Amino acid sequence: MSHYNREPIIKIEGLHFYYNPQSERPVHALRGVDLEIYPGEYVAIVGHNGSGKSTLAKHINALLRPSAGDVWVKGMNTRNPAHRLAIRSTVGMVFQNPDNQLVATVVEQDVAFGPENLGVAEDELRARVEWALGVVDMLDYRHRPPHRLSAGQKQRVAIAGAIAMKPEVLVLDEATSMLDPEGRESVLAAVRRLNAEGTTIVAITHAMHEAAQAHRVVVMEAGRIVMEGPPRCIFARVAELRALQLDVPQVMELSYWLNQRDPTFPSDLLFVQELADEVERRVNSRGQL
Amino acid sequence: MKERPLIQISDLHHTYLRGTPLAVTALRGVNMTIYKGEAVGIIGRTGAGKSTLVQYFNGLLRPTQPGRVIVDGQDMSDPHLDVRSIRQKVGLVFQHPEQQLFERLVGDDIAFGPKQLGMEPAARRERVRWAMEMVGLDFEAFKDRFTFSLSGGEMRKVALAGVLALRPEVLVLDESTSGIDPRGRRELLERLLRLHQDHGVTLVFVSSNMEDVAELVERVYVMYEGRVVMSGTTREIFARPAELRRYGLGVPQVTEVAHTLAARGIRLHRTPLTVAEGVEEIWRTLNS
Ligand SMILES: Nc1ncnc2c1ncn2[C@@H]1O[C@H](COP(=O)(O)OP(=O)(O)OP(=O)(O)O)[C@@H](O)[C@H]1O
Ligand SMILES: Nc1ncnc2c1ncn2[C@@H]1O[C@H](COP(=O)(O)OP(=O)(O)OP(=O)(O)O)[C@@H](O)[C@H]1O
Ligand SMILES: [Mg+2]
Ligand SMILES: [Mg+2]
Repeated sequence: MSHYNREPIIKIEGLHFYYNPQSERPVHALRGVDLEIYPGEYVAIVGHNGSGKSTLAKHINALLRPSAGDVWVKGMNTRNPAHRLAIRSTVGMVFQNPDNQLVATVVEQDVAFGPENLGVAEDELRARVEWALGVVDMLDYRHRPPHRLSAGQKQRVAIAGAIAMKPEVLVLDEATSMLDPEGRESVLAAVRRLNAEGTTIVAITHAMHEAAQAHRVVVMEAGRIVMEGPPRCIFARVAELRALQLDVPQVMELSYWLNQRDPTFPSDLLFVQELADEVERRVNSRGQL
Repeated sequence: MKERPLIQISDLHHTYLRGTPLAVTALRGVNMTIYKGEAVGIIGRTGAGKSTLVQYFNGLLRPTQPGRVIVDGQDMSDPHLDVRSIRQKVGLVFQHPEQQLFERLVGDDIAFGPKQLGMEPAARRERVRWAMEMVGLDFEAFKDRFTFSLSGGEMRKVALAGVLALRPEVLVLDESTSGIDPRGRRELLERLLRLHQDHGVTLVFVSSNMEDVAELVERVYVMYEGRVVMSGTTREIFARPAELRRYGLGVPQVTEVAHTLAARGIRLHRTPLTVAEGVEEIWRTLNS
């Protein structure tokens, strides 16, 4: 990508974080994380439960402050309380548990809450709420109380609330985990669209085929980044991923096993269409012999 | 394989806040039978009514509106019913783990059920250890951790362990693999399968992850807008991708490869549900 001549929008350097540092049993959740994310990038973060993904995400919008090291958002250090508001309006976040995010008694008020706090004017506010609820297909539920929705519906409202702020950076912490396949696909399509329009995306997920859509995959393990690179490179390192006991997308796994049986079969196919193309090509060319 | 019906739902209706302006109808005449000893999946798009339905399986919700629910031979609308005995038999793991957790320490939370059952401390400890191993939580590392300062996936594992610790005959899992990492998920599915196969535990698996459904269950019910709209063996259901899509659902990625090839005139011998099957089927087609 062409970001080498640009400033990172997120810069993380030597980040350590302890939960309950003064207690008998502090939890050393981040153990030296360095990461730069550039404007317009789409970064996926994967890794085991407890590896520090959510803790890292909460540092990006200044919800947590580093125990050591620094985090800058557009050059603003998250340690400086004076920057907090500017940082929160730059980085929109969808939390892992939507219940922690839903604040209002009616869905549309909930979605309006973020942009309203940013001082978005009345007309624009109404338009944004309408747009955001449309993106997650929840317009029919606008007058319903959010705490009386199904789990997937709550997750959609939480996503709407974050995108209604039109943040420059959108952090999604397992934001599609409770959605049905169609809902997941439509939210991911919306995320790709926002990204194409310039929004920087940081998406935490356990679904490897979702991570496959990113420009870059970051693998965390025990509070550190242990691998990073474009999805096709990362997921092709099947042996290393297996050592970490992580998955690869099913298509990549098919591609890998077929390559093991026939080395001329490519080992790095990532998407359904690519694999189907390859099989079709082989079946047809065989027919012509 | 199918023995006797264990849970029978007939024409079940449920409206939240009935008679108020906020009324929402979640179930519109559900018919469903779960047999003893089977592993069955319930899938359906967001808001289809899955979580509402499964709360009837262990008596958290009781039929007060049209419909009949029979669990283990007992009519759940019977006001004299001993709900505690049903709850012991049918363990329900909630979709939101936070709603299930209340003790300050992880070990105490998981021990709560066994304690209620009157288990001795030593046996209780072993039971907790077993349940934590089942979900992949290290006993020593986690038993004294604070329940509410865990990561999302860790919390889900604790909630699951708390229900497993009761050793229920029927395990109802509402989206229980969501938020669990690939290693944990793989191990959990294997252990659940073993509970099912070796100990005859009946599994009811609510999930929006089609890959997990394909790996774990033998039979699937599809719900849509408060009704059951499809049912059949897992292979039958995932052979009908167009209908599934109409209901907001999909098929596992490996099955999608087969459907994509079929649309281009290349038919695999059988529709694969798992990666291992997919490799075999594609290999066979490439070499036939
Ligand atoms: N509020 C807290 N207090 C103390 N420890 C915490 C707290 N939140 C998380 N931890 C611990 O910090 C570590 C990292 O947690 P984090 O939530 O960042 O993990 P994660 O990678 O997001 O995991 P998951 O995939 O389960 O969501 C874990 O060991 C966790 O138990
Ligand atoms: N406590 C409640 N009060 C009012 N309506 C509710 C409540 N809980 C759920 N509903 C509504 O009932 C319908 C069914 O919800 P339910 O939670 O059973 O769906 P679900 O199939 O489990 O969805 P998901 O996949 O999102 O978990 C939805 O339209 C939902 O908005
Ligand atoms: Mg997390
Ligand atoms: Mg539900």
